[in-house]
Amino acid sequence: MGFENFDPSLAGHDLVQDLKWDKELRALFACDEAAVLDRYALRPEERKAIEERDFRTLYDLGFHPYLGGQLARFIYGNDAGGGAITAVNKLVESLQRKGTST
Amino acid sequence: MAEIVYAAGIPHAPAIVGLFSKAPPETQKVVEDTYNGLVRELKAAQPDVLIIFANDHLTNSRISAYPDFLIGMAEKHAGPHEWFKPWIGCRDYVAKGSPEVAAALFRGMTKRGIRMNAERRNLNFDDNISVPVTLMDLDTSGIAIVPVLQNCTVPPFPDQHRCYAVGQAVGDFIRNDLPVGMRVGLIGSGGLSHEPGGARYYFIDEEFDRWFLDLCASGDHRRLLKELTIERMEASGSGGTAELLAWVVVQGAIGERVGHSFGYTIHKDFRCGVGAVSWPMMAA
Repeated sequence: MGFENFDPSLAGHDLVQDLKWDKELRALFACDEAAVLDRYALRPEERKAIEERDFRTLYDLGFHPYLGGQLARFIYGNDAGGGAITAVNKLVESLQRKGTST
Repeated sequence: MAEIVYAAGIPHAPAIVGLFSKAPPETQKVVEDTYNGLVRELKAAQPDVLIIFANDHLTNSRISAYPDFLIGMAEKHAGPHEWFKPWIGCRDYVAKGSPEVAAALFRGMTKRGIRMNAERRNLNFDDNISVPVTLMDLDTSGIAIVPVLQNCTVPPFPDQHRCYAVGQAVGDFIRNDLPVGMRVGLIGSGGLSHEPGGARYYFIDEEFDRWFLDLCASGDHRRLLKELTIERMEASGSGGTAELLAWVVVQGAIGERVGHSFGYTIHKDFRCGVGAVSWPMMAA
């Protein structure tokens, strides 16, 4: 199951929502990710997991899987026939590496 | 009293648009047969307004303030939201809204003890509304739409019993609050088994999908409410399959009624089973 560890208080959820809604923030994330991450009250382990593309750890911390899938698309690509498929594969690869949830 | 003249549960997986051309012919045929059938019946029903229940997919609100039901009250509904365009691959659209019916729905639900939220802005639409609007050409049909985006994925979300009760209230609202002679259609927009963002992203539970389609078509709502639990849907795809609760709302509104499916297909790259059920309302 994907919601056993769900923690609605994680600031990373707001990061993903803002990236969806704010084109300029998205552009900044692409060229200066750290500057964007600095704006959010991410827990140290949460930030580290984002920086290391460690979705398994991020989910174990309580990240919402639907937003996790979208975070992967911000990182790896968002077009149906290309980047979005890479994003899915990278995400699944990370999630199946270790951990107990999902 | 107004009348429910159309009711259907339909799929909205983005890949049935964006990856359609790369799918095998037999898969393409089921997608085309499904949407052609839905459109044929919609045209025959001639609704004035379509109320579309669909998973919000965390597209409009933060997790920290997440509504269970969000009514779109805008005069026009444009989409898809720009970030979702390359992901879905559908055309842009502007569908006619109905602020009057949306406001009446907001009032009607409040009066019946159902808490909903409502916004006058153009809501953000991803595949939830964009796929049915573009595949059914709702933007050029002249039919007004009222989107109701629901929480199917942020725990705790309304279960099958609550969604059915909401549907019953919607049915009562249509019959008693909307103008005499108004023809209303209902759509529950949601995919079959899928696990977006999960470790089983490519998992499709064919056994569940076929069971669910048959159950919905049977019109046996006692079984539907007993067996379509959140746990059952989560087991068939966490965070995704539960958007079938949008279909439950529609079934609550129309009551027990036999329906029919247009076929079923699986394609790995769709990352979701594809099928629909329509419940004929006219001959009842």
